[in-house]
Amino acid sequence: MLGYITRRLLGVIPVLLMVSLIVFMLMHAAPGDPVSMLISDEASPEDRARVAAAWGLDQPVWVQYLNFLQNAVMLDFGDSFRYQQPVIDLVLERLPASLELALYATLMAVIVGIPLGIWAAARPNSIVDTLASFGGFFGISMPNFWLGIMLILIFAGQLNLLPSGGRMSWGDEIPRLTGFLTVDAVLQGRWGELRLAFVHLLLPTVVLGTAMTGIIMQLTRASMLENLAEDYVMTARAKGVRARTILWLHAFRNALVSVITIIGLEFGALLSGAIIVETIFSWPGIGQLLIQGIGARDFPLITGLVIIYTALFVLLNLLIDVLYTIVDPRIRMR
Amino acid sequence: MRMKAKLAGSVAGALALATAMPAAASEDMTDARITVAMTETIAGYNPYGDAVVLIGSLWCKVYGCLTRFDFDEGQFVPYLAESVEAIDETTWHVHLREDWVRHNGDPVLAEDVVHSIDRMQNDPGSVRQFVVDPIESSRAIDDLTVEIVTHEPMATLPDNLSLLTVTSKALHDEHGSDMYREHPYGAGPYRLVEVSAGEHMILERVDDHPMVSPTNPQQIMYRIIAEPEARVTALANDEVQIAQGIPPQLVDRADDLDNARIEFANSVEMMFLAMNPSTHPWDVPEARQAVAHAIDREAIVQALLGGQATLLHGAVGEGQFGYDPDFRTPYEHDPDRARELLESADLVGVEIDFYTPVGRYVQDRQIAEAMVPMLEQAGFTVNLQTPEWSTLWSNVQSGGVPFYYMGRGQMLDPSRALHQYFRTDGSPRLDFSDPELDELFDAERQEFDPDRRLERMQEAIAALTEAAPAHFLWLHQLAWGVSEGIDYTPRPADRVDGWDIHVRAGD
Repeated sequence: MLGYITRRLLGVIPVLLMVSLIVFMLMHAAPGDPVSMLISDEASPEDRARVAAAWGLDQPVWVQYLNFLQNAVMLDFGDSFRYQQPVIDLVLERLPASLELALYATLMAVIVGIPLGIWAAARPNSIVDTLASFGGFFGISMPNFWLGIMLILIFAGQLNLLPSGGRMSWGDEIPRLTGFLTVDAVLQGRWGELRLAFVHLLLPTVVLGTAMTGIIMQLTRASMLENLAEDYVMTARAKGVRARTILWLHAFRNALVSVITIIGLEFGALLSGAIIVETIFSWPGIGQLLIQGIGARDFPLITGLVIIYTALFVLLNLLIDVLYTIVDPRIRMR
Repeated sequence: MRMKAKLAGSVAGALALATAMPAAASEDMTDARITVAMTETIAGYNPYGDAVVLIGSLWCKVYGCLTRFDFDEGQFVPYLAESVEAIDETTWHVHLREDWVRHNGDPVLAEDVVHSIDRMQNDPGSVRQFVVDPIESSRAIDDLTVEIVTHEPMATLPDNLSLLTVTSKALHDEHGSDMYREHPYGAGPYRLVEVSAGEHMILERVDDHPMVSPTNPQQIMYRIIAEPEARVTALANDEVQIAQGIPPQLVDRADDLDNARIEFANSVEMMFLAMNPSTHPWDVPEARQAVAHAIDREAIVQALLGGQATLLHGAVGEGQFGYDPDFRTPYEHDPDRARELLESADLVGVEIDFYTPVGRYVQDRQIAEAMVPMLEQAGFTVNLQTPEWSTLWSNVQSGGVPFYYMGRGQMLDPSRALHQYFRTDGSPRLDFSDPELDELFDAERQEFDPDRRLERMQEAIAALTEAAPAHFLWLHQLAWGVSEGIDYTPRPADRVDGWDIHVRAGD
């Protein structure tokens, strides 16, 4: 197992190198340039040249790339053009916000999607199945920017029950320990702030988790139906095993491999797909940072973030592979 | 000398204001905190590292700038400076006031001004070099007097000095650029509490500062909320008290709120159609004039902007320097005349690419789409191009866009903007050159008497409008959402100054 994990981790290195090269080249090939977005409307061509030189943007692209690579090895992605801070500091400051949001969205999807999928599979073609399937398609096909704005209008605007955005109310901030506000609030026994953190999390979590809930529900249903038609299930039934035991201990356990796969992949997609949700809800995560970086053509910030997204995605896949062996002992890592 | 007299008079006015509203004992001062929702991002702690106009004005509120624009007086007045005196055409003496100190008790010294000019030009993170570009040298004559020498005669220097954030040389010598984060001590009426790059900035009132009054909010958070719907909703549920940039389609909803209202402010950002005369067909004056006659500005303002824009007759409107209430543009809407002009130049059917930003200005894409049939009626064949803003802006700056819809802000005094776009070699954005206009522009900038300079500027704007390298359209009236508990009249030029905001008692 350890050897397998080491080999997989070593395999990440060429992936990250390729990703960095592709992102760097694509950014330089794309129209628009960072200096235009940095300087004032009033800047003269001389000011422009001065700013370009200060950020090394007057160097050939390959020199810029090599400089970037040399520092990136030490996890130094350079300073953001726009924010004039080390990219790694910006990311570390905001990553917990994105991770916390993605975790709660995943939790919602798992808690709602899996039982619904099992329930629908247990009663195929029933009204429950029809309603669950409709709900699943609804979740998958709902554009999250529209859903987000609608929820803001209803729950923040019309009913004034929830905040329209942000992560915590001004004045209620708590000292940062882990960066996960709900965890920090628990660790410090700040129950009022814990409630506020959840209140702020609610709408973005629902918006981000809706599509994933639909996907997990549909996949669980399909996978369960497939397993419930297998011979081992018929054998269990013939032996008089209780239906509930067959459903949960036999069919669901076997269906779980594909469900775990999709949860892992979707969690990665949630991190990168949170860009729109973070923008709509003014959520201070790395998705919002990336969209600001793209708008400003902030090359170090974009490259650093994409590399971090890639690394997270690859590590998640590795984690899923390890989980397979726990869920299904027949699977061995080689 | 005249400059000194003018600014010294304003000093008296400013001091009178300060003594009329002395900072009360702290128990009498409101402890209200308000949030301002804004549209653009915040770069960080470096006061020279942000090109956004609103953020620049916030740094002036923290550190102090040498002058400021007084919207009630309609002119630049002293701020950290007690007076700004033109010694000769290129030499200026700035006398600092003695009575204001930094938030840590240090005095503001002449060496700080010299240092700040250097930081603005040479700080590796600076993106505001344009402010000090006209300055050839500066030196401290004594503790409170600075001599500034400009490259050429420049009557508009006080305008530039209103953007010069004065940071401490001593703190920079001791802490380097860490001072911006760790020791951001200015001499302005609000001190810096916190900056979260890309998220928010928090300022706190300096209670004993002469510019604050008891009803100014104790703390102000400037928070970025990019989505207009979210800004209005945040206003509705009291998450924010002032919301910038309410688009026309949301104005009624915001104005109907029980707890808030809409206030309008004339922008000082001219919206215009730029036609690069070094490209065809814009090298033909009749083509440019045809565009100007073809556009029905009034219909666009009524239909797409809800009437919330002021039509321009020239490059500036009321409240801006150079405005002439008697001047009318020679290019009123006349589609027949537009067609005639194109026919006379044998250009009917000529193909043009028309570029517009999307989401940068109020209803920009919709406005451009409405212009297309108007231009086609005149005889142009129009290809509407809608590149992403970063791409378009980069291309405009490098001179690669022949015909575009654009805005130009920071035009309380339009001199810098007009030089940039319309003076020979001002910038590649229009590549326009007219020696006669150059003379007029130079004359206004070199005229130190304000009345005579106004005449020169009006003359230049009239000639520019006639030459039509651009068709001047309108100034937006920008809608701001304001909570009922707040007295605030939005200012032009994207300023949200704490001293302009008053919290009503009991709110």
